[in-house]
Amino acid sequence: MSRKITRRPALQANSCALIAIATVVLGMVGVLCLIAGLVSITSTADATPTPTTATLELAYSPEKDALMQDIVARFHKANYKTPAGLPMKISATRMDAADIVEAARAGRFTAISPDSSLWLGQIDADRERPLVSEATRFAVTPIVIAMWSDVAQSLGYPQKPIGWQELLGKAQSDANFKWSHPATSSASGLLATLAEFYAGANKTRGLTEEDVKNRATLDYVAALEKTVRYYGEGEQATIDQVLQRGRSYLDAFVVSERLVVYHNSKASAKLVAIYPVEGTLWQDHPLALLEQPNLTDDQRLTYRRLREFVLSAEIQKLILQAGYRPVDLNIRLDDPASPIKTQNGVDPAQPQTTLQMPNAAVIEEAQSYWFLAKRPANIMLVVDTSGSMGSQSKLKQAQDALVTFLDQVQGEKDRVGLVPFSTRVSGAVGLQDVGKERDALKARVRALKAEGSTALLDAVWFAYDDLQKRGERERINAIVVMTDGIENASSLKLNTLAERIRRGNASGIPIVIFCIGYGSDADWNVLNTLADATGGFARRADPETIRRLYKILSTYF
Amino acid sequence: MNRTRLIFFAVVLFALVIVGVSFVIQQLSGNLPNPTAQPIQVRVVTALPIEPWVQEAAQKFNAEKRSLDGRTIVVAITPMDSVTALGKWDRGEFNPVPTVWIPDSRYLIELVNATQSEKLGRDIFLTDGEYRARPLVTSLFAWGIYKSRYDALAAKFGKDNVNWKTIHDAAIAKGGWPELGGDAKWGYFKLIVPNPNKNAAGLLAMVSAAGEYYDKTSITTEDVTNPKFQVWLKELISSVTDFSSLSSYTVEDLALFGYSVGDGGQLLESDLLVNMSGIQTRWADPLIIVYPKYLTWFDFPFTIWMGPETSAAEKNAALLFEKFLLSAPIQSAAAARGLRPANPDVSIASGDSLFVKWKSQGAEALVSRTARMRPPDRETLRALLRWFDLNVKGR
Repeated sequence: MSRKITRRPALQANSCALIAIATVVLGMVGVLCLIAGLVSITSTADATPTPTTATLELAYSPEKDALMQDIVARFHKANYKTPAGLPMKISATRMDAADIVEAARAGRFTAISPDSSLWLGQIDADRERPLVSEATRFAVTPIVIAMWSDVAQSLGYPQKPIGWQELLGKAQSDANFKWSHPATSSASGLLATLAEFYAGANKTRGLTEEDVKNRATLDYVAALEKTVRYYGEGEQATIDQVLQRGRSYLDAFVVSERLVVYHNSKASAKLVAIYPVEGTLWQDHPLALLEQPNLTDDQRLTYRRLREFVLSAEIQKLILQAGYRPVDLNIRLDDPASPIKTQNGVDPAQPQTTLQMPNAAVIEEAQSYWFLAKRPANIMLVVDTSGSMGSQSKLKQAQDALVTFLDQVQGEKDRVGLVPFSTRVSGAVGLQDVGKERDALKARVRALKAEGSTALLDAVWFAYDDLQKRGERERINAIVVMTDGIENASSLKLNTLAERIRRGNASGIPIVIFCIGYGSDADWNVLNTLADATGGFARRADPETIRRLYKILSTYF
Repeated sequence: MNRTRLIFFAVVLFALVIVGVSFVIQQLSGNLPNPTAQPIQVRVVTALPIEPWVQEAAQKFNAEKRSLDGRTIVVAITPMDSVTALGKWDRGEFNPVPTVWIPDSRYLIELVNATQSEKLGRDIFLTDGEYRARPLVTSLFAWGIYKSRYDALAAKFGKDNVNWKTIHDAAIAKGGWPELGGDAKWGYFKLIVPNPNKNAAGLLAMVSAAGEYYDKTSITTEDVTNPKFQVWLKELISSVTDFSSLSSYTVEDLALFGYSVGDGGQLLESDLLVNMSGIQTRWADPLIIVYPKYLTWFDFPFTIWMGPETSAAEKNAALLFEKFLLSAPIQSAAAARGLRPANPDVSIASGDSLFVKWKSQGAEALVSRTARMRPPDRETLRALLRWFDLNVKGR
């Protein structure tokens, strides 16, 4: 017993030593392994390229705003990730097709989706290395002339084929016929313009630069453009106005087939799509990657995933439901659920023929000459110079915007007048030819000072009455109002003024009012009422609106 | 078990856990430096008409985890139209350089070799030896014409007389379709010819037209620079509606936009066959296939880049993928897509072949009454492209 008792401490000592050594050795191994593991993570992280953005900056044309927002929302919901684990995101910006071209060439955006692939050629024009790559198209729709069915019947529809000639003939022979096409910054506006040049040159193919510059062609186009009631910011804006105002707004207008379907799904009075017998064009809604210098590999992966996504059966069916013709030929247009059917005013077997697309140089000439041929404008600038415009550099901003505007006015035949107001209209300048008086007008703008109250309604009436008295029906007549405050000094009431304007527009010449509101105090009820009474718009004076003021307005003039 | 042993095993277990955790961390970090286990990458740039077939084959090949010298072979496919790829080869813009290029036609290899020979003094794609370019499948060019339009042309020119000469007559008809016996609402006759700057099919269309113009199978630079021929060709091309189109008149465009953009054109047979059903459902008017007198075709050669950027292992792995593409099951998959297999063991004249399915529309498994155009030399091709750029591109 005692032996055992005497040996136990030795054994215990040995065991303790063993355990201690084993613990130290294994602990060191473990710690070393752990360190090695951590180091390997660090080194792997060091070897991995710096994470870059996988967000694709996409610019798209406005007519597919709702569809594109839906697509982007569904794409984000799918939670796609790059192999490096970065979330694939789309930052989508709505923009006119012509502006997309300008922005892409200036290095903005990594992907685009304008309304037609004809803009892609303009992006790459004169470039040594193409910017546009990996393009596909995901929806197509022909451009048509939308008419109320009784208007179409009066032209012989559906027995007689109707074309540009019939439309243009009607516009010239009937002073009450109201038609419109968008400005050339959209595919439908460009097509309408090309159709006019083709008709003027008496051709349906082979349009040349000489044809476009020919005096007889230009006279023909100018005569036609005088019959255009409005141009508008684009076909979606036009169809929104038609939905709001009904058939009193326009008798016929150029839009894509898809918007006829859209209109007829929302309104009781139906439109029919006329597929011009001489030929039309297609919007083919391309999606393209831009090889900008800052394009990352992850953005490229996002683009490819998006491309795959928009061509998937799920999205292609969505595209059909939105009234477009999907590019997936497995999706049938004659499906009972398809909206492309005669009950909706459209015909899936149309169009029968297209106009020949001229080359980029001819298109550019046609755009330039259209600016010269379109109706000249009388523009009254109604500018708030009340005391509050002196704060936060608001008057300075307005002056800068007006000077830029005056610099940008292209048509030498356009006339501009100035109506500054505070407590009352003071120092008004009647309509002047911009071509001759540009510098004098700019000097008057720069001399404006902020003081007094806000007699906005009296000032608008002053400008409106002046334009009505001139009665120049062959011109587009417009008022641009720039204000920051609440009406507080006019003798006129809003309802009275709005009623006078409505009556004046019905019995006299049509005048459009555009309102730009500065700051949070702007009275949007007043501005919207004035704009709505005339088919114009009211916008907040953000830097983008100001920068693009002329461009926006020029789409109406 | 006494307490000492318990402590001992606990310590060992603790140490093992640490070792295990660190191992897992290493695994997750993917840092397993074993160069011999690195897969061999075969980067394939393929022409668009056969991309779905090649893509599907690559997936099968990769799934089988084939290896060479103990290293797994991984095939990655990049679809690219051959004219874009041609530009990238010429400008040296491929990074990394593809191991394999499958262009539409051997014509394009000729053009790349022409440029590379000037730089390197030798061809970069071989035409003989183990690594020579080998056709994988072929697809002929045939007339695809909407039936209503074909009937009018056949009534005007004769049933067996739809050819480049009669199409030229249709193209220059000043009165449009009414003059040709068709409906006024069809407008002018509209020809489909792909833009040769975007699609090699456009170049072959011009070669084929030249063959019929001169009524011979071999054309030369003198032929295509002959002013009379060029006037004739320009008149023909003037009936093309749009050269700015995104995909430059593949058959998919014909299906999407229908007769509104083109009454017909000489197009790739496989595209016509694959899209036939879509055309019939999208447009009320079906398409008729007519084989021309002088045949041109795409042969989709499998071509290995012989520059220093491609290792021997990559070249040999590429050969294994080529063999796989030429195997009977994969060639049968090509036939199901309307392509003519290079493997003679695979038939297209029976079963559920698209050639059988669309026989009623004019498809022929064995084409009779035709002569094959001899491939023109590179100078002739360059002359045609120059003519197009000068006379049509800026139309």
